[in-house]
Amino acid sequence: MKNFYLLFVMIAAVYTSAQDHQMHDMEGRNHEGHLHDTMVDGKLLEVNAERFDDFVLGLEGKQVAIVSVSGMVCDFCARGIEKTFSKDKTVLKLDVDLSGGKVLIAFDKDKNIDFEDIKKKILSNGQNATDLQIIKI
Amino acid sequence: MGIKYFYTFLLLIGPMFLESRPISYSGGSTLMLKSNAMQNSAYYHYSPSYKFSIGIEQVKDKYFDADYSSLRLTYLLNRKNTQHSQRNLYLQSGISSDGIDHYFYGVHGDWETRRLFSGFGYKETQTASLDYAEKYLQLGVAPYIGEYGDLHTWLMVKAKHDELTNEWNTYPVLKLFKGNALMEIGYTDASEWDIHFMYRF
Repeated sequence: MKNFYLLFVMIAAVYTSAQDHQMHDMEGRNHEGHLHDTMVDGKLLEVNAERFDDFVLGLEGKQVAIVSVSGMVCDFCARGIEKTFSKDKTVLKLDVDLSGGKVLIAFDKDKNIDFEDIKKKILSNGQNATDLQIIKI
Repeated sequence: MGIKYFYTFLLLIGPMFLESRPISYSGGSTLMLKSNAMQNSAYYHYSPSYKFSIGIEQVKDKYFDADYSSLRLTYLLNRKNTQHSQRNLYLQSGISSDGIDHYFYGVHGDWETRRLFSGFGYKETQTASLDYAEKYLQLGVAPYIGEYGDLHTWLMVKAKHDELTNEWNTYPVLKLFKGNALMEIGYTDASEWDIHFMYRF
Protein backbone atom coordinates (compact mmCIF):
# COMPACT_ATOMS: atom_id res chain seq x y z
CA MET A 1 0.00 0.00 0.00
CA LYS A 2 2.86 2.34 0.86
CA ASN A 3 4.36 1.74 -2.59
CA PHE A 4 1.08 2.74 -4.25
CA TYR A 5 1.00 5.89 -2.14
CA LEU A 6 4.56 6.71 -3.18
CA LEU A 7 3.71 6.10 -6.82
CA PHE A 8 0.72 8.43 -6.50
CA VAL A 9 2.89 11.17 -5.02
CA MET A 10 5.44 10.70 -7.84
CA ILE A 11 2.74 10.91 -10.53
CA ALA A 12 1.26 14.04 -8.96
CA ALA A 13 4.69 15.70 -8.84
CA VAL A 14 5.40 14.77 -12.44
CA TYR A 15 1.97 15.99 -13.60
CA THR A 16 2.68 19.39 -12.05
CA SER A 17 6.08 19.47 -13.75
CA ALA A 18 4.52 18.48 -17.09
CA GLN A 19 1.98 21.30 -16.82
CA ASP A 20 4.81 23.80 -16.34
CA HIS A 21 6.58 22.34 -19.32
CA GLN A 22 3.51 22.65 -21.56
CA MET A 23 3.17 26.32 -20.62
CA HIS A 24 6.82 26.79 -21.53
CA ASP A 25 6.14 25.19 -24.95
CA MET A 26 3.19 27.47 -25.60
CA GLU A 27 5.28 30.54 -24.89
CA GLY A 28 7.77 29.28 -27.47
CA ARG A 29 5.13 29.21 -30.20
CA ASN A 30 4.38 32.90 -30.10
CA HIS A 31 6.43 33.73 -33.17
CA GLU A 32 6.60 32.20 -36.61
CA GLY A 33 9.61 30.44 -38.05
CA HIS A 34 10.99 31.10 -41.50
CA LEU A 35 12.69 27.90 -42.55
CA HIS A 36 9.91 25.42 -43.28
CA ASP A 37 10.60 25.36 -47.03
CA THR A 38 14.27 26.26 -47.08
CA MET A 39 16.45 24.09 -49.31
CA VAL A 40 20.19 23.58 -48.72
CA ASP A 41 22.21 21.74 -51.39
CA GLY A 42 18.98 20.41 -52.86
CA LYS A 43 17.77 19.02 -49.53
CA LEU A 44 14.95 20.34 -47.38
CA LEU A 45 16.31 21.89 -44.23
CA GLU A 46 15.02 19.71 -41.43
CA VAL A 47 15.34 21.98 -38.46
CA ASN A 48 12.91 23.49 -36.00
CA ALA A 49 12.30 26.94 -37.46
CA GLU A 50 11.60 28.72 -34.19
CA ARG A 51 14.60 27.17 -32.53
CA PHE A 52 16.79 28.14 -35.48
CA ASP A 53 15.51 31.73 -35.45
CA ASP A 54 16.32 32.03 -31.77
CA PHE A 55 19.74 30.51 -32.31
CA VAL A 56 20.83 32.85 -35.12
CA LEU A 57 19.90 36.04 -33.31
CA GLY A 58 23.05 38.19 -33.32
CA LEU A 59 24.86 35.88 -35.74
CA GLU A 60 24.53 38.00 -38.88
CA GLY A 61 27.45 37.41 -41.24
CA LYS A 62 28.31 34.06 -39.61
CA GLN A 63 27.61 30.51 -40.75
CA VAL A 64 25.75 27.73 -38.98
CA ALA A 65 26.44 24.02 -39.27
CA ILE A 66 23.34 21.91 -38.75
CA VAL A 67 24.50 18.42 -37.82
CA SER A 68 22.14 15.43 -37.80
CA VAL A 69 23.01 13.11 -34.94
CA SER A 70 21.75 9.58 -34.25
CA GLY A 71 21.57 8.15 -30.74
CA MET A 72 21.00 11.52 -29.11
CA VAL A 73 18.03 10.38 -27.05
CA CYS A 74 18.57 12.06 -23.71
CA ASP A 75 19.69 15.39 -22.37
CA PHE A 76 22.14 13.83 -19.94
CA CYS A 77 23.95 11.83 -22.63
CA ALA A 78 24.11 14.82 -25.00
CA ARG A 79 25.93 16.98 -22.44
CA GLY A 80 29.31 15.76 -23.66
CA ILE A 81 28.64 17.22 -27.11
CA GLU A 82 28.38 20.69 -25.64
CA LYS A 83 31.46 20.11 -23.48
CA THR A 84 33.53 18.80 -26.40
CA PHE A 85 32.65 21.61 -28.81
CA SER A 86 33.07 24.27 -26.14
CA LYS A 87 36.81 23.46 -26.16
CA ASP A 88 36.97 24.45 -29.84
CA LYS A 89 37.75 28.19 -29.95
CA THR A 90 36.30 28.54 -33.46
CA VAL A 91 32.83 27.61 -32.18
CA LEU A 92 30.84 30.77 -31.50
CA LYS A 93 27.63 29.21 -30.25
CA LEU A 94 26.06 25.78 -29.93
CA ASP A 95 22.57 24.39 -29.42
CA VAL A 96 21.31 20.84 -29.01
CA ASP A 97 17.88 20.07 -30.46
CA LEU A 98 16.94 16.74 -28.90
CA SER A 99 13.53 16.52 -30.60
CA GLY A 100 14.99 17.05 -34.06
CA GLY A 101 18.19 15.09 -33.44
CA LYS A 102 20.25 18.11 -34.50
CA VAL A 103 23.22 20.02 -33.18
CA LEU A 104 23.52 23.62 -34.35
CA ILE A 105 27.02 25.08 -34.35
CA ALA A 106 27.86 28.66 -35.30
CA PHE A 107 31.22 29.56 -36.83
CA ASP A 108 32.78 32.63 -38.39
CA LYS A 109 31.97 33.03 -42.09
CA ASP A 110 35.57 32.24 -43.11
CA LYS A 111 35.85 29.02 -41.13
CA ASN A 112 36.27 25.90 -43.25
CA ILE A 113 33.78 23.52 -41.65
CA ASP A 114 35.20 20.01 -41.64
CA PHE A 115 32.49 17.33 -41.36
CA GLU A 116 35.08 14.66 -40.49
CA ASP A 117 36.22 16.72 -37.51
CA ILE A 118 32.61 17.19 -36.42
CA LYS A 119 31.99 13.44 -36.78
CA LYS A 120 34.99 12.71 -34.54
CA LYS A 121 33.79 15.12 -31.87
CA ILE A 122 30.27 13.69 -31.90
CA LEU A 123 31.65 10.13 -31.79
CA SER A 124 33.81 11.00 -28.79
CA ASN A 125 30.49 11.45 -27.00
CA GLY A 126 29.27 8.08 -28.26
CA GLN A 127 26.83 9.29 -30.93
CA ASN A 128 27.04 9.37 -34.72
CA ALA A 129 26.90 12.44 -36.94
CA THR A 130 25.02 11.38 -40.07
CA ASP A 131 24.55 14.56 -42.09
CA LEU A 132 25.70 18.17 -42.31
CA GLN A 133 24.02 21.24 -43.75
CA ILE A 134 25.63 24.67 -43.70
CA ILE A 135 23.72 27.91 -43.80
CA LYS A 136 25.20 31.38 -44.23
CA ILE A 137 23.35 33.86 -42.05
CA MET B 1 7.67 -17.64 -11.75
CA GLY B 2 6.09 -14.81 -13.68
CA ILE B 3 9.09 -12.58 -13.30
CA LYS B 4 11.32 -15.31 -14.79
CA TYR B 5 9.22 -15.34 -17.96
CA PHE B 6 9.31 -11.56 -18.02
CA TYR B 7 13.09 -11.59 -17.66
CA THR B 8 13.46 -14.15 -20.45
CA PHE B 9 11.17 -12.10 -22.67
CA LEU B 10 13.27 -8.98 -22.20
CA LEU B 11 16.44 -10.92 -22.99
CA LEU B 12 14.86 -12.24 -26.16
CA ILE B 13 13.75 -8.89 -27.46
CA GLY B 14 17.30 -7.66 -27.19
CA PRO B 15 17.15 -4.38 -25.34
CA MET B 16 19.58 -4.30 -22.50
CA PHE B 17 19.91 -3.06 -18.95
CA LEU B 18 21.28 -0.26 -16.88
CA GLU B 19 23.40 1.16 -14.22
CA SER B 20 22.83 4.78 -15.11
CA ARG B 21 25.36 5.83 -17.72
CA PRO B 22 28.55 4.11 -16.50
CA ILE B 23 30.79 5.69 -19.16
CA SER B 24 31.15 9.38 -19.87
CA TYR B 25 32.15 11.23 -23.02
CA SER B 26 35.86 11.07 -23.93
CA GLY B 27 37.86 12.93 -21.31
CA GLY B 28 34.90 13.28 -18.96
CA SER B 29 34.56 12.14 -15.39
CA THR B 30 31.61 11.26 -13.21
CA LEU B 31 30.79 11.04 -9.51
CA MET B 32 28.18 8.45 -8.52
CA LEU B 33 26.74 8.06 -5.03
CA LYS B 34 24.53 5.11 -4.14
CA SER B 35 22.66 4.14 -1.01
CA ASN B 36 20.37 1.20 -0.36
CA ALA B 37 19.70 -1.41 2.32
CA MET B 38 22.80 -3.42 1.38
CA GLN B 39 25.45 -0.73 0.97
CA ASN B 40 26.46 2.88 0.62
CA SER B 41 29.05 3.74 -1.99
CA ALA B 42 30.83 6.60 -3.69
CA TYR B 43 32.27 5.95 -7.13
CA TYR B 44 34.36 8.32 -9.22
CA HIS B 45 35.32 7.31 -12.73
CA TYR B 46 37.18 8.77 -15.68
CA SER B 47 36.53 7.90 -19.33
CA PRO B 48 39.59 8.07 -21.60
CA SER B 49 37.17 7.31 -24.43
CA TYR B 50 33.44 6.76 -24.79
CA LYS B 51 34.21 3.01 -24.87
CA PHE B 52 35.43 2.52 -21.33
CA SER B 53 35.82 4.05 -17.92
CA ILE B 54 38.08 3.37 -14.97
CA GLY B 55 37.42 4.44 -11.44
CA ILE B 56 37.63 3.97 -7.71
CA GLU B 57 34.67 3.05 -5.54
CA GLN B 58 34.54 3.34 -1.79
CA VAL B 59 31.98 0.95 -0.32
CA LYS B 60 30.39 0.65 3.10
CA ASP B 61 28.88 -2.82 3.04
CA LYS B 62 25.97 -2.89 5.47
CA TYR B 63 25.28 -6.61 5.09
CA PHE B 64 28.84 -7.71 5.96
CA ASP B 65 29.54 -4.65 8.10
CA ALA B 66 32.72 -3.95 6.14
CA ASP B 67 34.45 -1.07 4.41
CA TYR B 68 36.59 -1.49 1.33
CA SER B 69 37.61 0.16 -1.94
CA SER B 70 37.35 -1.23 -5.44
CA LEU B 71 39.17 -0.51 -8.65
CA ARG B 72 36.49 -0.70 -11.33
CA LEU B 73 36.54 -0.99 -15.09
CA THR B 74 33.53 -0.66 -17.38
CA TYR B 75 33.66 -1.45 -21.08
CA LEU B 76 31.08 -0.60 -23.73
CA LEU B 77 30.73 -3.88 -25.58
CA ASN B 78 28.08 -2.76 -28.03
CA ARG B 79 26.14 0.36 -28.89
CA LYS B 80 23.48 0.85 -31.51
CA ASN B 81 22.49 4.42 -32.32
CA THR B 82 19.43 5.16 -34.40
CA GLN B 83 17.63 8.42 -35.00
CA HIS B 84 15.19 7.78 -32.17
CA SER B 85 16.88 5.24 -29.92
CA GLN B 86 20.08 4.06 -28.35
CA ARG B 87 20.95 0.57 -27.15
CA ASN B 88 23.97 -0.24 -24.98
CA LEU B 89 25.60 -3.34 -23.59
CA TYR B 90 28.32 -2.95 -20.98
CA LEU B 91 30.73 -5.27 -19.22
CA GLN B 92 31.82 -4.32 -15.73
CA SER B 93 34.41 -5.64 -13.33
CA GLY B 94 36.15 -4.65 -10.15
CA ILE B 95 38.70 -5.85 -7.67
CA SER B 96 38.56 -5.00 -4.00
CA SER B 97 41.27 -3.65 -1.73
CA ASP B 98 40.49 -6.65 0.50
CA GLY B 99 42.50 -8.88 -1.82
CA ILE B 100 42.40 -10.72 -5.12
CA ASP B 101 39.80 -13.18 -3.81
CA HIS B 102 37.27 -10.34 -3.53
CA TYR B 103 36.12 -9.16 -6.95
CA PHE B 104 33.05 -8.80 -9.12
CA TYR B 105 32.08 -8.95 -12.76
CA GLY B 106 28.87 -8.48 -14.61
CA VAL B 107 26.98 -7.20 -17.56
CA HIS B 108 24.38 -4.53 -17.91
CA GLY B 109 22.54 -2.87 -20.71
CA ASP B 110 19.82 -0.52 -21.67
CA TRP B 111 17.64 0.54 -24.55
CA GLU B 112 15.93 3.88 -24.60
CA THR B 113 14.04 6.34 -26.70
CA ARG B 114 13.01 9.75 -25.51
CA ARG B 115 9.78 8.21 -24.21
CA LEU B 116 10.64 4.63 -23.16
CA PHE B 117 13.41 2.98 -21.20
CA SER B 118 14.32 -0.63 -20.46
CA GLY B 119 17.36 -1.87 -18.64
CA PHE B 120 18.80 -4.94 -16.97
CA GLY B 121 21.84 -5.93 -14.97
CA TYR B 122 23.60 -8.99 -13.63
CA LYS B 123 26.54 -8.83 -11.22
CA GLU B 124 28.41 -11.72 -9.63
CA THR B 125 30.49 -10.98 -6.55
CA GLN B 126 33.13 -13.35 -5.18
CA THR B 127 34.52 -12.96 -1.69
CA ALA B 128 36.73 -15.13 0.51
CA SER B 129 33.69 -16.34 2.44
CA LEU B 130 30.71 -16.07 0.11
CA ASP B 131 29.78 -15.74 -3.56
CA TYR B 132 26.52 -14.09 -4.54
CA ALA B 133 24.74 -12.53 -7.48
CA GLU B 134 22.48 -9.54 -7.96
CA LYS B 135 20.22 -8.90 -10.92
CA TYR B 136 17.66 -6.34 -11.84
CA LEU B 137 15.25 -5.23 -14.51
CA GLN B 138 14.03 -1.70 -15.00
CA LEU B 139 11.31 -0.28 -17.21
CA GLY B 140 10.42 3.38 -17.52
CA VAL B 141 8.33 5.93 -19.32
CA ALA B 142 8.82 9.68 -19.60
CA PRO B 143 5.49 11.39 -18.87
CA TYR B 144 6.53 14.39 -20.96
CA ILE B 145 9.32 15.04 -23.45
CA GLY B 146 11.61 17.78 -22.23
CA GLU B 147 13.98 19.83 -24.31
CA TYR B 148 17.70 20.29 -23.78
CA GLY B 149 18.24 22.01 -20.44
CA ASP B 150 14.80 21.20 -19.01
CA LEU B 151 14.14 19.08 -15.96
CA HIS B 152 13.61 15.55 -17.30
CA THR B 153 11.50 13.02 -15.45
CA TRP B 154 11.08 9.27 -15.73
CA LEU B 155 8.59 7.05 -13.95
CA MET B 156 10.08 3.60 -13.60
CA VAL B 157 9.54 0.20 -12.11
CA LYS B 158 12.53 -1.78 -10.90
CA ALA B 159 12.60 -5.47 -10.04
CA LYS B 160 15.71 -6.49 -8.14
CA HIS B 161 16.92 -9.84 -6.88
CA ASP B 162 19.67 -10.32 -4.35
CA GLU B 163 20.95 -13.84 -3.60
CA LEU B 164 21.90 -12.79 -0.09
CA THR B 165 18.24 -12.31 0.76
CA ASN B 166 16.96 -14.59 -2.03
CA GLU B 167 14.06 -12.24 -2.72
CA TRP B 168 12.72 -10.31 -5.68
CA ASN B 169 11.69 -6.78 -4.79
CA THR B 170 9.67 -4.74 -7.22
CA TYR B 171 9.22 -1.07 -6.54
CA PRO B 172 8.62 2.30 -8.19
CA VAL B 173 11.57 4.53 -9.06
CA LEU B 174 11.52 8.22 -9.85
CA LYS B 175 14.38 9.38 -12.06
CA LEU B 176 15.12 13.07 -12.48
CA PHE B 177 17.88 14.81 -14.35
CA LYS B 178 18.76 18.32 -15.31
CA GLY B 179 22.00 19.53 -16.80
CA ASN B 180 24.87 17.46 -15.47
CA ALA B 181 23.02 16.03 -12.47
CA LEU B 182 20.90 12.89 -12.31
CA MET B 183 19.02 11.34 -9.40
CA GLU B 184 17.13 8.06 -9.04
CA ILE B 185 14.96 7.42 -6.00
CA GLY B 186 13.22 4.14 -5.28
CA TYR B 187 11.55 2.73 -2.21
CA THR B 188 10.38 -0.70 -1.17
CA ASP B 189 9.20 -2.03 2.17
CA ALA B 190 11.73 -4.86 2.00
CA SER B 191 14.90 -3.04 1.04
CA GLU B 192 13.88 0.50 1.96
CA TRP B 193 15.36 3.43 0.01
CA ASP B 194 17.39 2.83 -3.13
CA ILE B 195 18.99 6.13 -4.12
CA HIS B 196 21.47 6.95 -6.88
CA PHE B 197 22.95 10.36 -7.51
CA MET B 198 25.27 11.15 -10.38
CA TYR B 199 27.10 14.27 -11.47
CA ARG B 200 29.06 14.47 -14.69
CA PHE B 201 32.01 16.85 -14.90
